[in-house]
Amino acid sequence: MNKNEIDILEVKSDVIADNDREAAKVRDLLKQKKVFMVNLMASPGAGKTTSLVRTIEALKDKYRIGVIEADVDSDVDAKTVAAAGAKVIQLHTGGACHMDANMTHRGLEGLGLDDLDLVVLENVGNLVCPAEFDVGANKRVAILSVPEGHDKPLKYPLMFTVCDLLMVGKTDVAEVFDFDLAACEEYVKKLNPQIEVIPVSAKTGENFDKWIDWLEAQIESFRQDFDKEKREEDRA
Amino acid sequence: MRVIELNKSVTESNDADAEALRNDFRQSGTLLFNLMSSPGSGKTSLLSRLIKDMAKKFEIGVMEADIASDVDAKKIEDLGACAIQAHTDGMCHMDAGMTKRAYEAMDENELDLIFLENVGNLICPAEFDTGAGINLMILSIPEGDDKPLKYPLMFEKSDALILTKIDTIDYFDFDLEKCKERVKRLNPDIKIFPVSAKTGEGMQELETYIEDSLKDWRA
Repeated sequence: MNKNEIDILEVKSDVIADNDREAAKVRDLLKQKKVFMVNLMASPGAGKTTSLVRTIEALKDKYRIGVIEADVDSDVDAKTVAAAGAKVIQLHTGGACHMDANMTHRGLEGLGLDDLDLVVLENVGNLVCPAEFDVGANKRVAILSVPEGHDKPLKYPLMFTVCDLLMVGKTDVAEVFDFDLAACEEYVKKLNPQIEVIPVSAKTGENFDKWIDWLEAQIESFRQDFDKEKREEDRA
Repeated sequence: MRVIELNKSVTESNDADAEALRNDFRQSGTLLFNLMSSPGSGKTSLLSRLIKDMAKKFEIGVMEADIASDVDAKKIEDLGACAIQAHTDGMCHMDAGMTKRAYEAMDENELDLIFLENVGNLICPAEFDTGAGINLMILSIPEGDDKPLKYPLMFEKSDALILTKIDTIDYFDFDLEKCKERVKRLNPDIKIFPVSAKTGEGMQELETYIEDSLKDWRA
């Protein structure tokens, strides 16, 4: 896609009582289309877009990648991500501070799933509200950047509780900040013993392959399950 | 240390509540600063430094609005300011009614300056008038100079922008001039203070601004 041709869609947070039911619909749609979706969440400025660009570069030869950019009101990230080689749709949340399942569903329809293997939803920059809404993604990933401080799991516990993986970003500046990685991991694991914690620098690439390996393994496992079910259906 | 549980105010008329609260504060000569920023931008470190520098001259109160923990209020109280921890029960911002209840729970009427440390979030707090006399926004250098493009409302609503962690600017691709230009385009009257709570750089200018604001408030 040419970077001047970004689709923009205006969405408003719906007052749907049953967001979970909508999330199940999203999951069904993804399963039907054999598309794996990641819900990527973090504070503003934690490095979501930089990490996403590096992820696209690492995986674009293997998977066809789509990105839903959710922003209050801008398209700076969508342009950056499109230039990296992903199919992008920009969602404007109309002031809403998070994505819900219905908004995500409309984003996926706007993006079109027929020519995609992987979709990353770059959620609104916020550690609070996005944690409360299941958007129907297969995996939830949060980024906490070193400059934000290792105490964030204490202050925003829900985000760290609902995620499958935490990337600790901007490790290249660890020396400049008093960030205690061991303490951070301990806080996070106390909230969520199953969570994977991977320290990375999207700038220098340090440790970034660990994150890519994890993501690939999740996608492959999803695809194998899909193929297996398909074979069983065909046999039946 | 006191902890108060706050739920969203039932009233629909936040703006009217905010105006009434602002009038109360004007009458008592207390200036309330609403401090807004992302999580981890350095609100607490900045406040600690301000209290350390200004507590001899002024009676200072701090209202900490957090989703859950009381890590910040503990730090503040250790420095000698009076602090109250407001738990917002999952809410992502403070409104005027919540601010009023937190203030009443502090039970202090001789304060000169009160800092409301709003929930760490660049979106929702910008939409709710808390009744503060001055809205202060913090943007830290590691967050990037593009934030005014992405969260314009908060920059529009703020009287002053404090650029924190300025001591780390050499480690990030942060274009100070470009950032200032983007901010001024949204809000030509905004004052901008680049500071480091760690090294003390720029703190004097910020503290003078706070003092002058209090004088104006009482004039």
